[in-house]
Amino acid sequence: MSNYRYWLGGAFVLAALALIPTSGSAYTTTLLFTMLISYTLAQSWDWVGGEAGYINLAHFAFYGIGAYAFCLSLLNGIPIALCFVIAVVVTSIVALVVSFPLFRLRGDYFAFATLAILPLTELLAFNFDFTGGADGVVLPPKYVLFEAYYLAIGLVGLTAIATVWLIRTRFGYALKAIRNDEEAAEICGIRIFPAKSRVLIMSAGFASLAGALQGWQLSYIDPTTVFGLDVALIPIAMALLGGSGLLWGAVVGVIILSLFNQLLIVSLPILQTAIFGLLLLLIGRYMPGGLLRSGIIRNNRWIGFLGREHDRFVKATAGVTMTDGLPLPKQSDMKGQPVLECRNLTMAFGGNVAVDNISLTINAGEIVGLVGTNGSGKTTLFNCISKVFEQKSGDIIFLGQNLAGARRDDASKLGIGRTFQIPQPFSDLTVAENIAMPLMYRGAVSASLPDALGLATQFAEYVGLTDHLSARADSLNLQQKKALELARALACRPRLLLVDEVASGLTPMEVRNFVNHIRELRDNYGITIIWVEHIFSALAQVVDRVIVMEQGSIIADGPLDDVVRDERVLRTYLGSAAPEAV
Amino acid sequence: MDASIIIQIALGGILLGGLYAMVAFGLSLIYGVARILNFAHGTLLAVGGVAASAIFTATAWNPLLIMALLVPVLGLFGYVFYDKLLQPLTKRSHFEYTVGSVLVTVGALLILSDVAAWIAGPAPRNIPLRFEAMEFGDVIVSTTQAWILGGIIVFTIVLHFYIKKSWFGRAMRAVTQDHTGATICGVQADRVHALTFAFGSGIVAIAAVLYTMLFPVDPYMGFSLTVKAFTIIILGGIGNLVGALIAGIFLGLAEGFTSFFWATQWAPAISIVLLLVILVIFPQGFGWRKSK
Amino acid sequence: MKYTIGLFALGTAALAATSLITPAHATVGSCTEPVTFGTTISSTGRYSTLADKWRNMTIEFAKMINENGGVNLKGCGKKLPLKIIIYDDQSVPSTAVSLFERMATVDKVDFFVGPDWSAMGFPVPPVAEKHKIPMVMANVAAPPIFKRGLKYMWGTPMPTVPNWSTRYFDMMSKQTPRPKTIYFITQDNPVTKALTGFWSKKAASLGYKVLGNELFSVELKDFTSLVLKLRIRKPDIIYISSFDSPSVPLIQQMRRLKTKAKDVHHALLSGKLHKQVGNDLEGVTGEIPWYPGVKGPYSDFTEELVKRANVDMFEYPWTMSRISAYLIMVQAVERAGTVDREKVRAALFKGTFDSPTGQIEFNENGYAHKNGAFTLQVQNGKPVIVWPPEIATGKFVYPSPSWQ
Repeated sequence: MSNYRYWLGGAFVLAALALIPTSGSAYTTTLLFTMLISYTLAQSWDWVGGEAGYINLAHFAFYGIGAYAFCLSLLNGIPIALCFVIAVVVTSIVALVVSFPLFRLRGDYFAFATLAILPLTELLAFNFDFTGGADGVVLPPKYVLFEAYYLAIGLVGLTAIATVWLIRTRFGYALKAIRNDEEAAEICGIRIFPAKSRVLIMSAGFASLAGALQGWQLSYIDPTTVFGLDVALIPIAMALLGGSGLLWGAVVGVIILSLFNQLLIVSLPILQTAIFGLLLLLIGRYMPGGLLRSGIIRNNRWIGFLGREHDRFVKATAGVTMTDGLPLPKQSDMKGQPVLECRNLTMAFGGNVAVDNISLTINAGEIVGLVGTNGSGKTTLFNCISKVFEQKSGDIIFLGQNLAGARRDDASKLGIGRTFQIPQPFSDLTVAENIAMPLMYRGAVSASLPDALGLATQFAEYVGLTDHLSARADSLNLQQKKALELARALACRPRLLLVDEVASGLTPMEVRNFVNHIRELRDNYGITIIWVEHIFSALAQVVDRVIVMEQGSIIADGPLDDVVRDERVLRTYLGSAAPEAV
Repeated sequence: MDASIIIQIALGGILLGGLYAMVAFGLSLIYGVARILNFAHGTLLAVGGVAASAIFTATAWNPLLIMALLVPVLGLFGYVFYDKLLQPLTKRSHFEYTVGSVLVTVGALLILSDVAAWIAGPAPRNIPLRFEAMEFGDVIVSTTQAWILGGIIVFTIVLHFYIKKSWFGRAMRAVTQDHTGATICGVQADRVHALTFAFGSGIVAIAAVLYTMLFPVDPYMGFSLTVKAFTIIILGGIGNLVGALIAGIFLGLAEGFTSFFWATQWAPAISIVLLLVILVIFPQGFGWRKSK
Repeated sequence: MKYTIGLFALGTAALAATSLITPAHATVGSCTEPVTFGTTISSTGRYSTLADKWRNMTIEFAKMINENGGVNLKGCGKKLPLKIIIYDDQSVPSTAVSLFERMATVDKVDFFVGPDWSAMGFPVPPVAEKHKIPMVMANVAAPPIFKRGLKYMWGTPMPTVPNWSTRYFDMMSKQTPRPKTIYFITQDNPVTKALTGFWSKKAASLGYKVLGNELFSVELKDFTSLVLKLRIRKPDIIYISSFDSPSVPLIQQMRRLKTKAKDVHHALLSGKLHKQVGNDLEGVTGEIPWYPGVKGPYSDFTEELVKRANVDMFEYPWTMSRISAYLIMVQAVERAGTVDREKVRAALFKGTFDSPTGQIEFNENGYAHKNGAFTLQVQNGKPVIVWPPEIATGKFVYPSPSWQ
């Protein structure tokens, strides 16, 4: 596939639309105008809903605010071009302001809050004087259908371009990462709040223009017309019906539902809304991924391309090899010096002290095993070091820098990488995309998307996932997910790698493989590694020393042979793997 | 400022709030189980109210009798709705589950309100029963109000204990907290989900009759009720019935006092503003012990 | 290449589909085709509670006109049948706009009647203006609608805001003991607010002391505070400016809290309100555009029409405006003599037309500025016209016994 065909096709469609007013009837023009507005609304909603994974039920409020801002400006004699600008600016500011409190909420709570905002804006419009209250805003009755129509075509063109841009750029991928797992996204170096805020503002800006155009064409707006609950859900249903997150999803959804609605109005005297609702219900029940993701469409030769997922839009740059093996820098400059120091580190959750005043030092090039019974505080310690939590007291010094107050993505940028006990890949992204994420956001030179995908193949090869590059992460088995976890952590270019319980669930052969990787990472690339593990036999093959934790404190710290003979360790473990390791 | 005025406003607020809370109970259970934004919840109540009013107009039955009729009908509807439309979606990916349930519930909302308007007419209607008023000095309480308020309180207590002690109640809570674990313990989790949905819908029937006795209902008012109900369950804590009652009453009081001391037209905005403020300060809602 | 073809196919299919919805049209201005009116009615959606029986009524109207031979056109020397095309605008203004466009360009109707409601009254008339099709709207009462300089638009709201309570205050001025104070309660809606805005000033100029004006939103359920304010101020007249449904809880709570007044006046009184509050409404006065029994031009026709269509004029008080719009348009066409839009427009301009309520007179803005209403009172559960005395069907009971 090549770009120019898309642009050609798109230009053709826009040109065809532009011809309608002169060749078709005014009725067709109003129909299409409504569809263009609906498309802008549905598609801009999907940027936040489908790409970033946040169901924003207050999207229509941006439409309404844009309509009001535009109409009030026009009524006050401001030149019309400026009115559109004002509409966008006002709505964007509102979006910026609400993004601060809103994005503190996750998932369903976010949806609830946005659900409540819509009737609130209706009430505000009703009760403020300057909005005209229930009287609404009346514009001089100029018949501007055709002008509004042409502007709407322009708006749609911009929306489509913005959608394509989102799908193919780093920013779009940041959103996809956020949609899957915000914590993992931060660890890949993505700053999540600015990303979410930016996409919300973008979405609000386009919605406000749609509102402004519609208000202009109707020459009248009032609170219920613009903020009404009954129409607010329709653009969302349109986006979902076609297929959320797909390039063609909103287009198809808008076309089908708009035409269907018109058909019902002109042919049926009763129950049109019920039948419309029935269509939504059936699609939701039988094709919840959206129409375009259903088998019928995808398997069709002619229109199957409509259902292509995002990963097929960007091809990796071939043959980008920075070095043999892994494209990681070889770090040997700090031999023997401390990479990580914890001084009197304490972390507590309420009354529960998980990490109790521990101090330790990890030197460059060490492989240190960290063991302890369940609940001894190992994972919490990792979480403190990688800044998932902020410690209650004490200092963490990494490469000479105190990590107090740092965010997760800061820690990642400084060079702390980690894997999770339960793998947290970006589920609906492919293996290649997963690994490419930190390559785009981490490191001194952030790669562009195609380059990052190209580099990702090397990491995948290293962990043995070459055959699964285009497989979705959630289709992998446990061992493959752990391999992906490691590959992604390596792609973050860590100086210190925190490995959290990898060996459980692996066969002895796989464990040995993994151990070889660990050794290689230290020998060839100078990465320092702390490895939490229950399976002593794995540790024994590679570690320089072992730290044993118990109830938040360190009870032993030294070479493996010494530690397994330590009285306290033996008492704590009460006959675990210690005898075998000796 | 007359004490009787304060008391009168408070009474009105408590009654209204208690009624809102009843609306929210069913949703609290349903959301706790199905974890979906059921957009059709308020519409179910609206349609139930329309049906109750129609039955009353035709037969002049005692509202308790009408309740006894509507509860199994709505319960059955809820069961079938969940079993046939939402249950199959749970087997899909999380994304498809969310999207599918949005489309299904929005579609159901449109169908329910349109069909109800077609059958019973779109005009607002109610159950016009009037009982004598009781006067305590300057404070007047109608017997209807007293009965309904009493009914709400009793119902809440009964429901709360039922969920705490009965087998079904514990099964519901088990399934909500850990589906797989519950299955392993021998609970037919899928069936419990469907039964919970039915149970929640049955509660909606009771709330619908009570609501219609006090205020007019029409088939199109559902969505704004849904918003109110969600507000209450967030404030009260999901799955926490007593919390929902307190939250509902709190909201009713807030609306009533805003109305008197400030301006009537801002009263409905209060609940929304409160919700947003609370969510901002406590992003996990009140009293919600489990994090998401 | 596949993709371009795909895009092309998709685009063309969509555009073709829109034209599928556009069937063949009729020619305008002949002497053989039926005279065609086009209208939308809010049969579903937010306004449907006010209008749900009107589709049938409109069909019956055309039938009855055609039973009398049709529309009498001198210019053709004969009567032509009347055809009315009806769409459901679903109470959504943009839908109404596109449907009127459709009727103008695809169905090619001769004239427009309707729509109703201010929300439609603003965006729809520019369509009539653009296509130069005369339009007689029905229930659009917000006065700003008529100040936009449009030339193809008329409206016959019943009653108009400035004439709404004229007869009521006339009646009250003749009562003893003379009421002195008045308190307004207003729903937050353009029409009701305009009503209160006008009549509170007028009441003051008539010598009443306006003790207060409370605004309430449609959503409000708990009127305790409002009723308590009434109790504190103790007005002689309580003037409630609200549509029926929002004031149901208000009336009920006023009764429950034993509100007292010499008269309670509900400006938009309808049978729907009565159905919901039952005996609570006893003694309440209000306005109604028309009621069977009140004689005037076309009154027999109208009584027969509403009987056939099963429309209770007390339950659907806005019906009279709709019927009048149809009657006016028929008269205008007959006066013009041919199906010629400009001639009909001239006939409508500042014209005076007959209706069961009396004469309907348009001013230069197309506003039926003289439309008034009759005062009624609910007595023993029935609506009784109590003023003006010439056509009253019963005597006004004052002070209102149940409100003492």
